[in-house]
Amino acid sequence: MSALLDVENLQKRFGSLRALDGFSLTAERGKLTGLIGPNGAGKTTAFACISGATKPTAGKIVFDGGEIEGKPYHRVARLGIARTYQVVQTFAEMTVLEAVTVGALMRHPRLSDARAKAADTIEFVGLGPKRDTLGKSLTIADKKRLEVARALATEPALLLLDEVMAGLTPAEAQAAVALLREILGRGITIVMVEHVMEVLMPIADHIVVLSAGKTIFSGTPHAAANDPAVLEAYLGPPIT
Amino acid sequence: MELGPLPQLLVSGVLAGFVFALIAMGLTLIFGVMDVVNFAHGEFLMIAMYLTLGFSLVGLQPVLALPFVALALFLFGAFVYRIFVRRLLEGPPEASIFGTFGLLVLLQGLAQFFFTSDVRSVNNAWFTGAVRLGPIRIGEPELVAALGALVVAIVLYVFIEYTETGRGMRATSEDRIAATLMGIDVQRMNALAWGIGSACVGAAGALLMLTYQVYPRVGAEFALTAFVVVALGGFGSIQGAFVGAILVGLVEVLGGFYISPAVKLIPVYLLYLIVVLLRPQGLLGRR
Amino acid sequence: MRSGLVILLVTCVAVAAFALIVQNPFLLDLTFAALLYAVLGQAWNWVSGYAGQVSFGHALFFGCGAYGAALANWHHFSPWLGIASGIVAAAAIALAVGFPCFALRGHYFSIATIAVAAIGEIYVKNADWLNGAVGIEFKLASAGLGSLQFTSKLPWVFLALAVFALVQLATIALENSRMGYYLRAIRANQDAAASVGVDARAWELRALIASAAATALAGSLYAQYTLVVEPESILALPISISIALVGVVGGLGQLWGPALGALTYAFLAKYVAAQLGGSGRGLDLVIYGGLICLIAALRPSGIAGYVRELFARRRLAG
Ligand SMILES: Nc1ncnc2c1ncn2[C@@H]1O[C@H](COP(=O)(O)OP(=O)(O)OP(=O)(O)O)[C@@H](O)[C@H]1O
Ligand SMILES: [Mg+2]
Repeated sequence: MSALLDVENLQKRFGSLRALDGFSLTAERGKLTGLIGPNGAGKTTAFACISGATKPTAGKIVFDGGEIEGKPYHRVARLGIARTYQVVQTFAEMTVLEAVTVGALMRHPRLSDARAKAADTIEFVGLGPKRDTLGKSLTIADKKRLEVARALATEPALLLLDEVMAGLTPAEAQAAVALLREILGRGITIVMVEHVMEVLMPIADHIVVLSAGKTIFSGTPHAAANDPAVLEAYLGPPIT
Repeated sequence: MELGPLPQLLVSGVLAGFVFALIAMGLTLIFGVMDVVNFAHGEFLMIAMYLTLGFSLVGLQPVLALPFVALALFLFGAFVYRIFVRRLLEGPPEASIFGTFGLLVLLQGLAQFFFTSDVRSVNNAWFTGAVRLGPIRIGEPELVAALGALVVAIVLYVFIEYTETGRGMRATSEDRIAATLMGIDVQRMNALAWGIGSACVGAAGALLMLTYQVYPRVGAEFALTAFVVVALGGFGSIQGAFVGAILVGLVEVLGGFYISPAVKLIPVYLLYLIVVLLRPQGLLGRR
Repeated sequence: MRSGLVILLVTCVAVAAFALIVQNPFLLDLTFAALLYAVLGQAWNWVSGYAGQVSFGHALFFGCGAYGAALANWHHFSPWLGIASGIVAAAAIALAVGFPCFALRGHYFSIATIAVAAIGEIYVKNADWLNGAVGIEFKLASAGLGSLQFTSKLPWVFLALAVFALVQLATIALENSRMGYYLRAIRANQDAAASVGVDARAWELRALIASAAATALAGSLYAQYTLVVEPESILALPISISIALVGVVGGLGQLWGPALGALTYAFLAKYVAAQLGGSGRGLDLVIYGGLICLIAALRPSGIAGYVRELFARRRLAG
């Protein structure tokens, strides 16, 4: 069977700035693909293009056998791609249950079904005790969890996670890793952005490295850790 | 070639544009610095017009009253910011829309209460004639109002571009957080923007009294035009407001002549809709 | 949901009893105005409160209903036909205008609504088939539901009460539906809403069409009540503003917000101003404008929001 997501030579320009300039990525079904790269490499922009939040300038995105580049954001979501935001985008005046219900309504138009689905999802991500808290009153870690729940409630085939582990305590990070494993266990494919390679190494099946908008590496975590181009992107040119 | 009334119309349009520019520059300045659209901008203009009327009753002609009216409006604008708008900024984004709309209703009500809905005008003794330039005839009041507006607009532009405070203001409108880090007092910049923005309508109000009459609801028409101008030029862009104003002045005068005076504002409003839909950042706005 | 229905029932009974007991035409007039404003404010609230797209152009829809009724009367049709065509016209305009304008947000959208309504007003003032700036005076007919003209104010209060109940019921249903959740999500964060499959423009359009229809219905009732339509008092910007402000004062996106806002408007602004002999001299505007300033600066969630906070605090304390 073919890969779930296949991005080929994506380009995205903001005026004269080339945020993406030859980004390619393949995500196999049921696997976790890690997307790493230095600050400003274009990782978030890549997610925005894949999810339909912005239109790429050029390039191809094939999801589940169909081309999706340039399709409206909400349409792409319905096809089964869900995302979280690096800078959290919560529904400030809605409770956790209400916000996740908005996600669940995508596949369950009846409110009672959607609320039940949302309640399950909230338990699943461990936000159960906060279900009646307003989005704006949550801690950052809980807001990130809420974003994961809202995305999961749409029952996606592909989940794009943008730095969900940033700023977590070691214990929280461990819980998050366990959660990721459970999500994978449900057959959901994950593409995940992280700054820090160490976080991804133990859980990623595959690593893609982005630098200055370009994919400079694609392979196993082990190979990534030993690739000179990757090291250079992270540490600067080798001293000779 | 027979040009007919066209040269006359073009000149009238541009002259009208200068006054619109002054009003719109005040609006766009406030918006640029703090992302607030002052829906009561027209009512500030109305106050300025009544003030000018008051000065004329004690014998001061509008042109001489202008600096006093502008100063009074400066103080009024800064005061309104300090006691009111500052609090709106702490609330949700709609709060500033409704808050300034509330101000619009309040000021209109006060004007109606104190001055009734009667239409009043200044006894303009100084400029009564007209100037002839070949086929073009311009009334002196229109000419003085337009040139006065142009002068004030240039002063404002020079202030924004070339003074320390003006630069601080531009820095604030470009990036508020960076401005704070650079040690700019954002609260002071905001109050100043309200003061200067209001002083613009102060000057415009004084000049308008040469050619217009004042009544409590006079602001609405000008404010709407100012919104169009500001959107056309790009919200927050001072130069854009100037260019937009002249365009609007032309559209209004030409529409009034070639279609009908009664519907002269329809092309102006259509222009707004077309511009914000096709080019939301306006003609000169940045994105 | 149940509490909303109970409060609605109690409110309707109370208003009906009040209308039956007081004989004072001034008070009945105020009650009618308050109910009509509650309807207008709620219809506006669907788009501008729940979905957060602030319209300052609802007078246009109000005018569709009013002129529909007036034209029917002018040409000797049943007023019900006029009401229906007014509603259809309002919905059609909402569709045509909403589709492009919902690409805009914030003040861009608000100013666009002002511009559209202003174009409508100028058009009507210059349209012969609508009798231009003069407006239309209704021909009197024998009283009854068929002609929708009555000799007393009491039937009007009951008619407005029925429409009010209908609109409140619709809002309760909205709050407990997918659409209600979607509109609130769009208001909170349109981008995040799209990320979970919400087509903001389509839902906003539905809300606007419903809102336009209900506003037109209220416009028809108002025209039949006053038996005259003039562009200046039906279509001008102040009408749009008062519709919006009823919604704001009460509290955006809240079931009882518009009703509380309308009550405040009718009894505070109009009543107090009349008592002080200042209506027509702008005192009502002063009181109301001042109130809006206070609410915007101090309690942006409006009266209903404040009441809610009080209850929440009591529950926490007790
Ligand atoms: N909307 C935008 N307009 C203009 N430039 C943008 C926009 N969004 C991103 N950029 C620019 O594109 C480049 C890539 O940004 P992006 O946020 O995708 O990087 P990133 O890899 O996610 O960085 P980080 O690790 O800091 O999250 C940056 O230079 C950024 O400034
Ligand atoms: Mg990023």
